[in-house]
Amino acid sequence: MNAFNPSNDTARAGLPTTIPEYLEHLRRSLAGADPALVQDALYDAEEYLRSEMAENPGRSEAEVIVSVAGSYGAPDEVADIYRDTEVKVQSALRAPPPRPRGSWIGKFFGVIAEPRTYASLFYMLLSLATGIFFFTWVVTGISLSAGLAVLIIGIPFVILYFGSVRMLSLVEGRIVETMLGERMPRRPLYTERGKPLLSRIGDLFTDPRVWATQLYFLLMLPLGILYFTVAVTGLTVSLTLIAAPIAAMFGADSRLSIDGLVWGEPWLYPVAMLAGVILLFLTLHAARLVGHLHGQLAKHMLVKTAQYT
Amino acid sequence: MTDLDTHLRKFQKELSAGTVSLALLAVLAAGGEAMYGYQIAKQLERVGEGVLSGKQSALYPVLRNLEGSGLLDSHVEPSVSGPPRRYYRITDAGRAVLHEWAAAWRATRDSVDSVLEGLIP
Repeated sequence: MNAFNPSNDTARAGLPTTIPEYLEHLRRSLAGADPALVQDALYDAEEYLRSEMAENPGRSEAEVIVSVAGSYGAPDEVADIYRDTEVKVQSALRAPPPRPRGSWIGKFFGVIAEPRTYASLFYMLLSLATGIFFFTWVVTGISLSAGLAVLIIGIPFVILYFGSVRMLSLVEGRIVETMLGERMPRRPLYTERGKPLLSRIGDLFTDPRVWATQLYFLLMLPLGILYFTVAVTGLTVSLTLIAAPIAAMFGADSRLSIDGLVWGEPWLYPVAMLAGVILLFLTLHAARLVGHLHGQLAKHMLVKTAQYT
Repeated sequence: MTDLDTHLRKFQKELSAGTVSLALLAVLAAGGEAMYGYQIAKQLERVGEGVLSGKQSALYPVLRNLEGSGLLDSHVEPSVSGPPRRYYRITDAGRAVLHEWAAAWRATRDSVDSVLEGLIP
């Protein structure tokens, strides 16, 4: 199968001769695709190419790439395969998108039937915990790094800390992808694996993504508090307004008290219920909006887009 | 001639779209041990070209998506030569799914075979 189809001569003439060139070519072919998909495709291709190099120690990089173009594929073909598979699998694994509703009433109330709403709501509740964790991790890491950097044992600590930030950004990416539905990388980013250890460590500190990730983690605390508060307040107030008139009918203390103002009239019950229902749906819409915006924020701060455009 | 060729390519591509996942699960279940992408590609190449129709790169996105839906587990290990490798292992859910898929595959194969029977001398 590694043999060449003679009709492909022009394609072969344009084949890259080194692994970095091959990856660069693949990156160009995937221009415009989701950056998370590009990162995964580059990871896979590099793993395959380097494994093939290790299997055939006698051959040059150019020879290996020529033979691989027949089995793994030339960069353009690989790019097409990734695009195709992504579309196919996305439509197979994801729940079908809800039918678009025509009327504004349908749009407003349809939100309750969408699974994505509840996932976003859950993310908002969870983000308080993850926000506290990430914030503490970064603040502790940065201050200990700064404090210990003057000592010999400080240097490995600083390196470990920066490495941990990269790992945590993948973890947060998984959470965001599962709950908010924003496609995030599933593989770590590694390029130029052949570089010596020291320059790889140097890259860790000059990689703008590592710094953006730390900023994102710091931001997660205020955002987490905000999300949690909005979700909890919205849900409790609306559910209470809906439940209060029902409780009153069963003989509970039949007065509504808002900020010291007390109303006892029974005609208020349906009004309170209606207000509760509207508030509940507003909360659900807020969750959708937060899910969308936060997904965009995570994508921009955790995935290095500039590299692929 | 080239026209026939493109028809064949298209057919192979469509066939492999469905069967690659099945073949992957089967290879990982039969091996019993964790394998990485390149090993799986070589294993499938040894068995025959049919499944992948020659494109190893088609394998990787499928591996990742099977992992995403919980049928495979994976972990990364550094290697002596080359880059760190992601090793895949089949999960219990994966085995259950494989069982179902194998039954579906056999049913499809038998019905297609019986349709084709006697068609080509």
